Amino acid sequence: MNDSQEWDKLLKQALAAAEEPEEQLNSSIINRYKERNRMKRVTRKRFSIGVLVAVLTLVMSITAVAATQLFSSKQVAEHLGDQVLAKAFESKGAIEINQTVASGDFNFTLHGIVSGAGLSGLNSSAQDINPDRTYAVVSIAKQNGSPMPDTQDPEYGKEPFFVSPFIKGQKPWQVNIMTMNGGYSEMVLDGIMYRLIECDGIEMFADRGVYLAVSSGSSFYSSEAFAYNESTGEVSARTDYKGTSILFDLPLDKAKADPAKAEAYLQELLKEPSEGEAADQAVSDEETAMMKRSEELKKLIPDGKVIPESVKEVTYDDKGNINYDYDGFSIMIAPDQLFAEGQTGLSEFMQVSEDDFTAKALQFSRDDKGVITGRVIVLK
Amino acid sequence: MDIEELSDLIKQHGKAIYGFCYKLAGNKADTDDLYQETFLKAMEVRHKMDANQNPKGFLISIAIQLRKNKRRKFAWRQRIAPVAELNEAVDKACRPCGEATPEDAVLSHELRGILQAAADRLGDKLKIPLYMHYTAEMSVDEIASALNIPPGTVKSRLYQARKAMKKTLEVESP
Repeated sequence: MNDSQEWDKLLKQALAAAEEPEEQLNSSIINRYKERNRMKRVTRKRFSIGVLVAVLTLVMSITAVAATQLFSSKQVAEHLGDQVLAKAFESKGAIEINQTVASGDFNFTLHGIVSGAGLSGLNSSAQDINPDRTYAVVSIAKQNGSPMPDTQDPEYGKEPFFVSPFIKGQKPWQVNIMTMNGGYSEMVLDGIMYRLIECDGIEMFADRGVYLAVSSGSSFYSSEAFAYNESTGEVSARTDYKGTSILFDLPLDKAKADPAKAEAYLQELLKEPSEGEAADQAVSDEETAMMKRSEELKKLIPDGKVIPESVKEVTYDDKGNINYDYDGFSIMIAPDQLFAEGQTGLSEFMQVSEDDFTAKALQFSRDDKGVITGRVIVLK
Repeated sequence: MDIEELSDLIKQHGKAIYGFCYKLAGNKADTDDLYQETFLKAMEVRHKMDANQNPKGFLISIAIQLRKNKRRKFAWRQRIAPVAELNEAVDKACRPCGEATPEDAVLSHELRGILQAAADRLGDKLKIPLYMHYTAEMSVDEIASALNIPPGTVKSRLYQARKAMKKTLEVESP
Protein backbone atom coordinates (compact mmCIF):
# COMPACT_ATOMS: atom_id res chain seq x y z
CA MET A 1 0.00 0.00 0.00
CA ASN A 2 1.51 3.35 -0.96
CA ASP A 3 1.58 6.49 1.14
CA SER A 4 -1.45 7.97 -0.59
CA GLN A 5 -3.53 4.86 -0.04
CA GLU A 6 -2.38 4.77 3.58
CA TRP A 7 -3.60 8.31 4.06
CA ASP A 8 -6.83 7.52 2.34
CA LYS A 9 -7.40 4.63 4.71
CA LEU A 10 -6.53 6.72 7.74
CA LEU A 11 -8.86 9.50 6.72
CA LYS A 12 -11.70 7.14 5.97
CA GLN A 13 -11.41 5.76 9.48
CA ALA A 14 -10.88 9.10 11.18
CA LEU A 15 -13.57 11.08 9.39
CA ALA A 16 -16.24 8.43 9.11
CA ALA A 17 -19.31 9.50 11.01
CA ALA A 18 -19.91 7.70 14.25
CA GLU A 19 -22.97 9.81 14.94
CA GLU A 20 -26.39 8.74 13.76
CA PRO A 21 -29.72 10.51 13.83
CA GLU A 22 -32.03 9.32 16.58
CA GLU A 23 -35.29 7.76 15.47
CA GLN A 24 -37.13 10.46 17.38
CA LEU A 25 -35.37 13.16 15.34
CA ASN A 26 -36.42 11.50 12.08
CA SER A 27 -40.00 11.25 13.31
CA SER A 28 -39.91 14.87 14.31
CA ILE A 29 -38.89 15.87 10.76
CA ILE A 30 -41.82 13.96 9.32
CA ASN A 31 -44.20 15.48 11.85
CA ARG A 32 -42.93 18.98 11.22
CA TYR A 33 -43.30 18.44 7.50
CA LYS A 34 -46.86 17.21 7.95
CA GLU A 35 -47.57 20.24 10.09
CA ARG A 36 -46.10 22.59 7.52
CA ASN A 37 -48.20 21.02 4.80
CA ARG A 38 -51.31 21.34 6.87
CA MET A 39 -50.62 24.97 7.61
CA LYS A 40 -49.65 25.79 4.02
CA ARG A 41 -47.16 28.21 5.42
CA VAL A 42 -45.33 30.60 3.20
CA THR A 43 -42.29 32.54 4.30
CA ARG A 44 -40.60 34.87 1.97
CA LYS A 45 -38.08 37.56 1.87
CA ARG A 46 -39.44 40.16 -0.41
CA PHE A 47 -38.28 43.34 -1.94
CA SER A 48 -39.75 45.50 -4.63
CA ILE A 49 -37.37 47.19 -6.92
CA GLY A 50 -38.76 50.67 -7.21
CA VAL A 51 -40.72 50.54 -4.00
CA LEU A 52 -37.92 49.20 -1.79
CA VAL A 53 -39.82 47.32 0.82
CA ALA A 54 -38.46 44.34 2.70
CA VAL A 55 -40.80 42.59 5.06
CA LEU A 56 -41.03 39.07 6.32
CA THR A 57 -44.61 37.97 6.13
CA LEU A 58 -46.31 34.72 6.72
CA VAL A 59 -49.94 34.10 6.15
CA MET A 60 -52.17 31.19 6.79
CA SER A 61 -55.69 30.36 7.60
CA ILE A 62 -57.35 27.61 9.50
CA THR A 63 -61.06 27.15 9.34
CA ALA A 64 -63.54 24.72 10.79
CA VAL A 65 -62.26 25.26 14.29
CA ALA A 66 -65.19 25.92 16.52
CA ALA A 67 -64.11 28.55 18.99
CA THR A 68 -66.36 30.34 21.38
CA GLN A 69 -63.66 32.68 22.56
CA LEU A 70 -60.46 34.23 21.33
CA PHE A 71 -57.30 32.20 21.24
CA SER A 72 -54.50 33.10 23.62
CA SER A 73 -51.07 34.36 22.53
CA LYS A 74 -49.69 30.93 23.32
CA GLN A 75 -52.28 29.18 21.16
CA VAL A 76 -51.67 31.60 18.31
CA ALA A 77 -47.94 30.84 18.42
CA GLU A 78 -48.74 27.12 18.48
CA HIS A 79 -50.99 27.43 15.45
CA LEU A 80 -48.21 29.25 13.66
CA GLY A 81 -45.97 26.26 14.33
CA ASP A 82 -43.71 28.03 16.81
CA GLN A 83 -43.69 25.84 19.91
CA VAL A 84 -40.73 27.65 21.41
CA LEU A 85 -42.54 30.97 21.26
CA ALA A 86 -45.71 29.35 22.60
CA LYS A 87 -43.75 28.37 25.70
CA ALA A 88 -42.31 31.87 25.95
CA PHE A 89 -45.83 33.33 26.01
CA GLU A 90 -46.50 31.14 29.05
CA SER A 91 -43.33 32.15 30.84
CA LYS A 92 -42.99 34.51 33.77
CA GLY A 93 -41.57 37.27 31.59
CA ALA A 94 -44.61 37.34 29.28
CA ILE A 95 -47.36 39.91 29.84
CA GLU A 96 -50.97 38.82 29.29
CA ILE A 97 -52.98 41.89 28.36
CA ASN A 98 -56.28 40.83 26.72
CA GLN A 99 -57.51 44.36 26.23
CA THR A 100 -60.15 44.99 23.56
CA VAL A 101 -60.87 48.31 21.85
CA ALA A 102 -63.78 48.77 19.45
CA SER A 103 -63.06 51.02 16.49
CA GLY A 104 -64.92 51.44 13.22
CA ASP A 105 -66.36 48.07 12.28
CA PHE A 106 -63.81 46.08 14.23
CA ASN A 107 -62.82 44.91 17.68
CA PHE A 108 -59.07 44.97 18.21
CA THR A 109 -57.66 42.88 21.03
CA LEU A 110 -54.11 43.06 22.28
CA HIS A 111 -53.54 39.58 23.67
CA GLY A 112 -50.04 39.57 25.07
CA ILE A 113 -46.42 40.43 24.64
CA VAL A 114 -43.09 38.79 25.39
CA SER A 115 -39.51 39.91 24.86
CA GLY A 116 -36.09 38.34 24.98
CA ALA A 117 -33.49 36.42 22.99
CA GLY A 118 -34.01 32.94 21.56
CA LEU A 119 -37.76 32.98 22.13
CA SER A 120 -38.75 31.78 18.68
CA GLY A 121 -38.15 28.40 17.13
CA LEU A 122 -38.59 29.88 13.66
CA ASN A 123 -35.42 31.54 12.55
CA SER A 124 -35.49 34.82 10.70
CA SER A 125 -32.63 36.86 9.37
CA ALA A 126 -33.70 39.68 11.69
CA GLN A 127 -32.62 37.55 14.64
CA ASP A 128 -29.08 37.73 13.34
CA ILE A 129 -29.24 41.52 13.27
CA ASN A 130 -30.62 41.79 16.77
CA PRO A 131 -31.23 38.61 18.78
CA ASP A 132 -33.25 40.45 21.42
CA ARG A 133 -36.80 40.42 20.00
CA THR A 134 -40.29 41.40 21.04
CA TYR A 135 -43.37 39.40 20.02
CA ALA A 136 -46.97 40.52 20.45
CA VAL A 137 -50.31 39.11 19.37
CA VAL A 138 -53.22 41.26 18.21
CA SER A 139 -56.54 39.98 16.92
CA ILE A 140 -59.02 41.75 14.68
CA ALA A 141 -62.66 40.71 14.64
CA LYS A 142 -65.66 42.21 12.89
CA GLN A 143 -68.11 43.75 15.31
CA ASN A 144 -71.13 42.38 13.46
CA GLY A 145 -69.83 38.84 13.92
CA SER A 146 -69.18 38.22 10.24
CA PRO A 147 -65.87 36.49 9.56
CA MET A 148 -62.69 38.23 8.49
CA PRO A 149 -61.68 37.05 5.01
CA ASP A 150 -59.80 33.80 5.02
CA THR A 151 -56.21 34.06 3.81
CA GLN A 152 -57.18 32.00 0.75
CA ASP A 153 -60.06 34.39 0.05
CA PRO A 154 -59.51 36.97 -2.71
CA GLU A 155 -60.81 39.57 -0.25
CA TYR A 156 -57.98 38.81 2.19
CA GLY A 157 -55.68 41.77 2.64
CA LYS A 158 -57.96 44.19 0.80
CA GLU A 159 -58.42 46.00 4.11
CA PRO A 160 -54.80 46.38 5.18
CA PHE A 161 -53.73 46.95 8.78
CA PHE A 162 -50.62 48.36 10.33
CA VAL A 163 -49.60 47.08 13.77
CA SER A 164 -46.47 48.50 15.31
CA PRO A 165 -44.89 49.60 18.54
CA PHE A 166 -44.23 53.33 18.95
CA ILE A 167 -41.92 54.79 21.55
CA LYS A 168 -42.83 57.92 23.41
CA GLY A 169 -40.50 60.74 22.43
CA GLN A 170 -39.62 59.16 19.08
CA LYS A 171 -41.17 60.21 15.80
CA PRO A 172 -43.41 57.29 14.86
CA TRP A 173 -42.58 57.54 11.17
CA GLN A 174 -38.94 57.01 12.11
CA VAL A 175 -39.19 54.38 14.82
CA ASN A 176 -41.73 51.71 14.02
CA ILE A 177 -41.94 48.03 13.14
CA MET A 178 -40.50 48.63 9.67
CA THR A 179 -37.38 50.34 10.92
CA MET A 180 -37.02 48.02 13.91
CA ASN A 181 -36.26 44.96 11.74
CA GLY A 182 -39.82 43.81 12.18
CA GLY A 183 -42.28 41.60 10.42
CA TYR A 184 -45.43 39.69 11.14
CA SER A 185 -47.24 36.41 10.73
CA GLU A 186 -50.95 36.34 10.21
CA MET A 187 -53.70 33.77 10.20
CA VAL A 188 -57.46 33.62 10.28
CA LEU A 189 -58.90 31.28 12.85
CA ASP A 190 -62.63 30.80 12.96
CA GLY A 191 -63.25 34.13 11.25
CA ILE A 192 -60.95 36.11 13.51
CA MET A 193 -57.68 37.44 12.23
CA TYR A 194 -54.64 37.05 14.46
CA ARG A 195 -51.43 38.88 13.83
CA LEU A 196 -48.20 37.97 15.56
CA ILE A 197 -45.76 40.83 15.21
CA GLU A 198 -42.08 40.69 15.96
CA CYS A 199 -39.42 43.37 15.99
CA ASP A 200 -36.28 44.38 17.85
CA GLY A 201 -36.73 44.22 21.63
CA ILE A 202 -38.68 47.12 23.12
CA GLU A 203 -38.27 46.38 26.83
CA MET A 204 -35.20 48.62 26.92
CA PHE A 205 -37.59 51.55 26.36
CA ALA A 206 -39.86 50.56 29.28
CA ASP A 207 -39.09 53.74 31.24
CA ARG A 208 -39.99 56.02 28.33
CA GLY A 209 -43.46 54.65 27.59
CA VAL A 210 -44.24 52.34 24.69
CA TYR A 211 -47.46 52.11 22.68
CA LEU A 212 -48.76 49.45 20.38
CA ALA A 213 -50.44 51.18 17.46
CA VAL A 214 -53.05 49.69 15.15
CA SER A 215 -54.37 51.46 12.09
CA SER A 216 -56.32 50.47 9.03
CA GLY A 217 -56.13 51.62 5.42
CA SER A 218 -52.46 50.90 4.89
CA SER A 219 -49.79 48.34 5.75
CA PHE A 220 -47.42 51.20 6.48
CA TYR A 221 -47.26 54.03 8.97
CA SER A 222 -49.76 56.73 8.09
CA SER A 223 -49.44 60.30 9.33
CA GLU A 224 -53.15 60.64 8.64
CA ALA A 225 -53.85 58.05 11.34
CA PHE A 226 -51.50 59.28 14.08
CA ALA A 227 -50.27 62.63 15.37
CA TYR A 228 -46.96 63.35 17.05
CA ASN A 229 -46.49 66.17 19.51
CA GLU A 230 -42.92 67.44 19.08
CA SER A 231 -42.83 69.19 22.46
CA THR A 232 -44.17 66.37 24.64
CA GLY A 233 -43.16 63.39 22.53
CA GLU A 234 -46.69 62.02 22.87
CA VAL A 235 -48.17 60.03 20.02
CA SER A 236 -51.93 60.13 19.66
CA ALA A 237 -54.55 58.61 17.39
CA ARG A 238 -56.13 61.19 15.09
CA THR A 239 -59.82 61.46 15.81
CA ASP A 240 -60.51 62.77 12.31
CA TYR A 241 -59.01 59.69 10.66
CA LYS A 242 -61.59 57.88 8.60
CA GLY A 243 -60.33 54.40 9.34
CA THR A 244 -59.21 52.74 12.54
CA SER A 245 -56.51 54.36 14.59
CA ILE A 246 -55.88 53.16 18.12
CA LEU A 247 -53.05 53.03 20.62
CA PHE A 248 -52.58 50.52 23.40
CA ASP A 249 -50.29 51.50 26.25
CA LEU A 250 -47.92 48.61 26.82
CA PRO A 251 -47.56 47.77 30.52
CA LEU A 252 -43.85 46.99 30.37
CA ASP A 253 -41.84 46.42 33.53
CA LYS A 254 -39.83 49.61 34.07
CA ALA A 255 -37.18 47.62 35.90
CA LYS A 256 -36.31 46.09 32.53
CA ALA A 257 -35.50 49.46 30.96
CA ASP A 258 -31.94 49.92 29.75
CA PRO A 259 -31.48 53.62 28.96
CA ALA A 260 -27.90 53.26 27.71
CA LYS A 261 -28.75 50.39 25.38
CA ALA A 262 -31.90 52.20 24.23
CA GLU A 263 -29.95 55.35 23.43
CA ALA A 264 -27.31 53.44 21.50
CA TYR A 265 -30.00 51.55 19.59
CA LEU A 266 -31.80 54.76 18.63
CA GLN A 267 -28.58 56.46 17.58
CA GLU A 268 -27.88 53.61 15.22
CA LEU A 269 -31.44 53.49 13.94
CA LEU A 270 -31.74 57.24 13.42
CA LYS A 271 -28.34 57.73 11.90
CA GLU A 272 -28.96 59.84 8.86
CA PRO A 273 -27.01 58.78 5.80
CA SER A 274 -25.89 62.37 5.30
CA GLU A 275 -24.52 62.65 8.82
CA GLY A 276 -21.43 60.61 8.24
CA GLU A 277 -19.42 59.18 5.48
CA ALA A 278 -19.60 55.69 6.95
CA ALA A 279 -23.37 55.74 7.07
CA ASP A 280 -23.42 57.10 3.57
CA GLN A 281 -21.26 54.27 2.49
CA ALA A 282 -23.41 51.69 4.29
CA VAL A 283 -26.60 52.89 2.67
CA SER A 284 -24.93 53.24 -0.63
CA ASP A 285 -23.51 49.73 -0.35
CA GLU A 286 -26.90 48.33 0.50
CA GLU A 287 -28.53 50.10 -2.42
CA THR A 288 -25.73 49.09 -4.71
CA ALA A 289 -26.07 45.48 -3.62
CA MET A 290 -29.82 45.61 -4.17
CA MET A 291 -29.46 47.20 -7.58
CA LYS A 292 -26.81 44.66 -8.49
CA ARG A 293 -29.05 41.84 -7.36
CA SER A 294 -31.98 43.27 -9.30
CA GLU A 295 -29.86 43.41 -12.44
CA GLU A 296 -28.78 39.80 -11.90
CA LEU A 297 -32.37 38.74 -11.45
CA LYS A 298 -33.55 40.72 -14.47
CA LYS A 299 -31.11 38.76 -16.57
CA LEU A 300 -32.83 35.56 -15.44
CA ILE A 301 -36.22 36.71 -16.72
CA PRO A 302 -35.80 35.53 -20.34
CA ASP A 303 -35.04 32.01 -19.11
CA GLY A 304 -37.63 32.15 -16.34
CA LYS A 305 -40.80 30.11 -16.35
CA VAL A 306 -44.03 32.07 -16.30
CA ILE A 307 -46.63 30.55 -13.99
CA PRO A 308 -49.66 30.32 -16.32
CA GLU A 309 -52.22 30.85 -13.54
CA SER A 310 -50.48 34.05 -12.51
CA VAL A 311 -51.04 35.76 -15.85
CA LYS A 312 -54.00 38.03 -15.30
CA GLU A 313 -55.24 41.48 -16.00
CA VAL A 314 -54.98 43.88 -13.10
CA THR A 315 -58.04 45.42 -11.48
CA TYR A 316 -58.44 49.07 -10.52
CA ASP A 317 -59.67 50.63 -7.29
CA ASP A 318 -61.72 53.81 -7.09
CA LYS A 319 -58.55 55.91 -6.83
CA GLY A 320 -57.25 54.53 -10.11
CA ASN A 321 -54.60 52.35 -8.50
CA ILE A 322 -53.99 48.96 -9.99
CA ASN A 323 -54.36 45.83 -7.89
CA TYR A 324 -52.74 42.48 -8.51
CA ASP A 325 -52.82 39.41 -6.26
CA TYR A 326 -51.31 36.03 -6.83
CA ASP A 327 -49.87 33.52 -4.39
CA GLY A 328 -48.56 36.01 -1.86
CA PHE A 329 -47.72 38.68 -4.42
CA SER A 330 -50.09 41.48 -3.62
CA ILE A 331 -49.61 44.94 -4.92
CA MET A 332 -51.52 48.18 -5.15
CA ILE A 333 -49.73 50.84 -7.14
CA ALA A 334 -50.46 53.83 -9.35
CA PRO A 335 -50.10 52.86 -13.03
CA ASP A 336 -47.85 55.85 -13.71
CA GLN A 337 -45.29 54.32 -11.35
CA LEU A 338 -45.09 51.34 -13.65
CA PHE A 339 -45.33 52.88 -17.09
CA ALA A 340 -44.48 56.22 -18.64
CA GLU A 341 -47.24 57.86 -20.63
CA GLY A 342 -47.90 55.90 -23.79
CA GLN A 343 -45.39 53.20 -22.86
CA THR A 344 -46.25 49.67 -23.87
CA GLY A 345 -44.45 46.39 -23.29
CA LEU A 346 -42.81 45.33 -20.06
CA SER A 347 -42.44 47.53 -16.99
CA GLU A 348 -39.05 48.26 -15.48
CA PHE A 349 -40.58 47.65 -12.06
CA MET A 350 -40.56 44.17 -10.71
CA GLN A 351 -41.26 42.75 -7.29
CA VAL A 352 -39.08 39.86 -6.24
CA SER A 353 -39.67 37.18 -3.67
CA GLU A 354 -36.49 35.33 -2.93
CA ASP A 355 -35.08 32.87 -0.48
CA ASP A 356 -31.92 30.81 -0.68
CA PHE A 357 -33.32 28.37 -3.15
CA THR A 358 -36.06 30.00 -5.17
CA ALA A 359 -36.70 33.40 -6.67
CA LYS A 360 -39.88 34.63 -8.27
CA ALA A 361 -40.56 37.96 -9.89
CA LEU A 362 -43.77 39.81 -10.53
CA GLN A 363 -43.67 41.86 -13.67
CA PHE A 364 -46.26 43.88 -15.56
CA SER A 365 -46.85 44.50 -19.23
CA ARG A 366 -49.11 46.97 -21.00
CA ASP A 367 -50.53 46.45 -24.47
CA ASP A 368 -51.39 49.12 -27.03
CA LYS A 369 -54.96 49.27 -25.73
CA GLY A 370 -53.65 50.17 -22.28
CA VAL A 371 -54.52 46.81 -20.71
CA ILE A 372 -52.06 46.01 -17.90
CA THR A 373 -51.31 42.37 -17.18
CA GLY A 374 -49.30 40.96 -14.30
CA ARG A 375 -47.38 37.71 -14.33
CA VAL A 376 -45.18 35.81 -11.92
CA ILE A 377 -41.99 34.29 -13.28
CA VAL A 378 -39.99 31.57 -11.56
CA LEU A 379 -36.38 32.71 -11.87
CA LYS A 380 -34.54 29.96 -10.03
CA MET B 1 -46.88 10.53 -1.42
CA ASP B 2 -44.80 13.48 -0.22
CA ILE B 3 -44.47 11.96 3.23
CA GLU B 4 -43.30 8.71 1.65
CA GLU B 5 -40.80 10.63 -0.39
CA LEU B 6 -39.45 12.27 2.76
CA SER B 7 -39.34 8.96 4.67
CA ASP B 8 -37.42 7.35 1.83
CA LEU B 9 -34.94 10.19 1.69
CA ILE B 10 -34.34 9.94 5.44
CA LYS B 11 -34.04 6.18 5.27
CA GLN B 12 -31.57 6.21 2.42
CA HIS B 13 -29.45 9.19 3.25
CA GLY B 14 -30.22 10.12 6.86
CA LYS B 15 -27.07 8.62 8.35
CA ALA B 16 -24.71 10.16 5.80
CA ILE B 17 -26.37 13.56 6.04
CA TYR B 18 -26.36 13.46 9.84
CA GLY B 19 -22.67 12.57 9.93
CA PHE B 20 -21.88 15.37 7.52
CA CYS B 21 -23.99 17.86 9.49
CA TYR B 22 -22.18 16.80 12.64
CA LYS B 23 -18.84 17.61 11.04
CA LEU B 24 -20.13 21.04 10.09
CA ALA B 25 -21.97 21.88 13.29
CA GLY B 26 -19.69 20.24 15.84
CA ASN B 27 -22.26 19.48 18.53
CA LYS B 28 -25.40 17.44 18.82
CA ALA B 29 -27.91 20.24 19.35
CA ASP B 30 -26.78 22.21 16.28
CA THR B 31 -26.45 19.02 14.26
CA ASP B 32 -30.03 18.05 15.05
CA ASP B 33 -31.21 21.50 13.95
CA LEU B 34 -29.18 21.53 10.77
CA TYR B 35 -30.18 17.96 9.89
CA GLN B 36 -33.85 18.69 10.47
CA GLU B 37 -33.80 21.95 8.50
CA THR B 38 -31.94 20.27 5.65
CA PHE B 39 -34.71 17.74 5.06
CA LEU B 40 -37.49 20.28 5.52
CA LYS B 41 -35.84 22.69 3.09
CA ALA B 42 -35.25 19.84 0.65
CA MET B 43 -38.97 19.11 0.64
CA GLU B 44 -39.73 22.77 0.05
CA VAL B 45 -37.55 22.86 -3.05
CA ARG B 46 -37.90 19.25 -4.09
CA HIS B 47 -38.99 20.29 -7.57
CA LYS B 48 -35.28 20.91 -8.10
CA MET B 49 -34.27 17.46 -6.97
CA ASP B 50 -34.11 14.69 -9.48
CA ALA B 51 -34.37 11.55 -7.38
CA ASN B 52 -32.44 9.59 -9.96
CA GLN B 53 -29.48 11.91 -9.89
CA ASN B 54 -27.51 12.45 -6.76
CA PRO B 55 -30.18 13.19 -4.13
CA LYS B 56 -27.49 12.86 -1.46
CA GLY B 57 -25.52 15.63 -3.16
CA PHE B 58 -28.65 17.75 -3.29
CA LEU B 59 -29.22 17.28 0.45
CA ILE B 60 -25.58 17.99 1.25
CA SER B 61 -25.61 21.18 -0.80
CA ILE B 62 -28.69 22.33 1.13
CA ALA B 63 -26.95 21.58 4.43
CA ILE B 64 -23.91 23.60 3.31
CA GLN B 65 -26.11 26.53 2.31
CA LEU B 66 -28.12 26.45 5.53
CA ARG B 67 -25.00 26.25 7.62
CA LYS B 68 -23.52 29.23 5.79
CA ASN B 69 -26.65 31.20 6.59
CA LYS B 70 -26.64 30.27 10.24
CA ARG B 71 -22.94 30.09 10.71
CA ARG B 72 -22.82 32.40 13.66
CA LYS B 73 -25.27 30.19 15.47
CA PHE B 74 -23.18 27.08 15.18
CA ALA B 75 -20.47 26.66 17.71
CA TRP B 76 -17.42 26.04 15.62
CA ARG B 77 -15.14 23.83 17.63
CA GLN B 78 -11.45 24.40 17.46
CA ARG B 79 -10.09 21.19 18.85
CA ILE B 80 -6.54 21.42 20.11
CA ALA B 81 -4.49 18.27 19.91
CA PRO B 82 -1.90 17.91 22.67
CA VAL B 83 1.69 17.79 21.38
CA ALA B 84 2.57 14.55 23.18
CA GLU B 85 -0.24 12.76 21.44
CA LEU B 86 0.77 14.28 18.14
CA ASN B 87 4.18 12.67 18.21
CA GLU B 88 2.67 9.28 18.75
CA ALA B 89 0.09 9.92 16.08
CA VAL B 90 2.62 10.98 13.50
CA ASP B 91 4.65 7.88 14.25
CA LYS B 92 1.62 5.77 13.62
CA ALA B 93 0.48 7.73 10.60
CA CYS B 94 3.90 7.50 8.97
CA ARG B 95 4.59 3.90 9.80
CA PRO B 96 4.57 1.72 6.69
CA CYS B 97 1.59 -0.54 6.45
CA GLY B 98 3.60 -3.75 6.81
CA GLU B 99 4.77 -2.71 10.24
CA ALA B 100 1.29 -2.18 11.59
CA THR B 101 0.67 -3.88 14.89
CA PRO B 102 -2.69 -5.53 15.63
CA GLU B 103 -3.56 -2.53 17.84
CA ASP B 104 -3.29 -0.29 14.81
CA ALA B 105 -6.04 -2.15 13.02
CA VAL B 106 -8.45 0.05 14.86
CA LEU B 107 -7.54 3.69 14.67
CA SER B 108 -6.59 4.94 18.10
CA HIS B 109 -8.85 7.40 19.80
CA GLU B 110 -6.02 9.95 19.91
CA LEU B 111 -5.14 9.69 16.25
CA ARG B 112 -8.76 9.95 15.26
CA GLY B 113 -9.05 13.12 17.35
CA ILE B 114 -5.93 14.60 15.83
CA LEU B 115 -7.00 13.92 12.27
CA GLN B 116 -10.43 15.31 12.99
CA ALA B 117 -8.88 18.42 14.49
CA ALA B 118 -6.62 18.86 11.48
CA ALA B 119 -9.63 18.54 9.16
CA ASP B 120 -11.55 21.05 11.25
CA ARG B 121 -8.79 23.60 10.84
CA LEU B 122 -9.01 23.52 7.06
CA GLY B 123 -10.88 26.25 5.26
CA ASP B 124 -14.35 25.46 3.90
CA LYS B 125 -13.03 25.17 0.37
CA LEU B 126 -11.00 22.09 1.29
CA LYS B 127 -12.91 20.89 4.33
CA ILE B 128 -16.32 20.52 2.69
CA PRO B 129 -15.20 18.23 -0.18
CA LEU B 130 -13.11 16.28 2.36
CA TYR B 131 -16.13 15.62 4.57
CA MET B 132 -18.31 14.92 1.57
CA HIS B 133 -15.86 12.27 0.45
CA TYR B 134 -14.88 10.64 3.72
CA THR B 135 -17.92 11.26 5.92
CA ALA B 136 -20.80 11.26 3.47
CA GLU B 137 -18.97 8.75 1.25
CA MET B 138 -19.61 10.63 -1.95
CA SER B 139 -17.69 10.00 -5.13
CA VAL B 140 -15.72 12.71 -6.87
CA ASP B 141 -18.45 13.00 -9.51
CA GLU B 142 -21.18 13.28 -6.90
CA ILE B 143 -19.27 16.02 -5.07
CA ALA B 144 -18.66 17.82 -8.34
CA SER B 145 -22.34 17.86 -9.23
CA ALA B 146 -23.42 18.89 -5.72
CA LEU B 147 -20.93 21.75 -5.50
CA ASN B 148 -21.31 22.62 -9.16
CA ILE B 149 -17.58 22.47 -9.84
CA PRO B 150 -15.62 20.29 -12.30
CA PRO B 151 -14.51 16.82 -11.08
CA GLY B 152 -10.88 17.86 -11.64
CA THR B 153 -11.33 20.67 -9.13
CA VAL B 154 -12.79 18.24 -6.59
CA LYS B 155 -9.79 15.93 -7.05
CA SER B 156 -7.43 18.84 -6.64
CA ARG B 157 -9.18 20.04 -3.48
CA LEU B 158 -9.15 16.57 -1.97
CA TYR B 159 -5.46 16.32 -2.77
CA GLN B 160 -4.77 19.72 -1.23
CA ALA B 161 -6.83 18.83 1.84
CA ARG B 162 -4.88 15.63 2.41
CA LYS B 163 -1.61 17.45 1.83
CA ALA B 164 -2.54 20.21 4.26
CA MET B 165 -3.51 17.71 6.93
CA LYS B 166 -0.33 15.75 6.50
CA LYS B 167 1.68 18.94 6.70
CA THR B 168 -0.08 19.98 9.88
CA LEU B 169 0.91 16.73 11.54
CA GLU B 170 4.47 16.86 10.28
CA VAL B 171 5.01 20.49 11.25
CA GLU B 172 3.75 19.89 14.75
CA SER B 173 6.04 16.93 15.33
CA PRO B 174 9.50 17.81 16.70
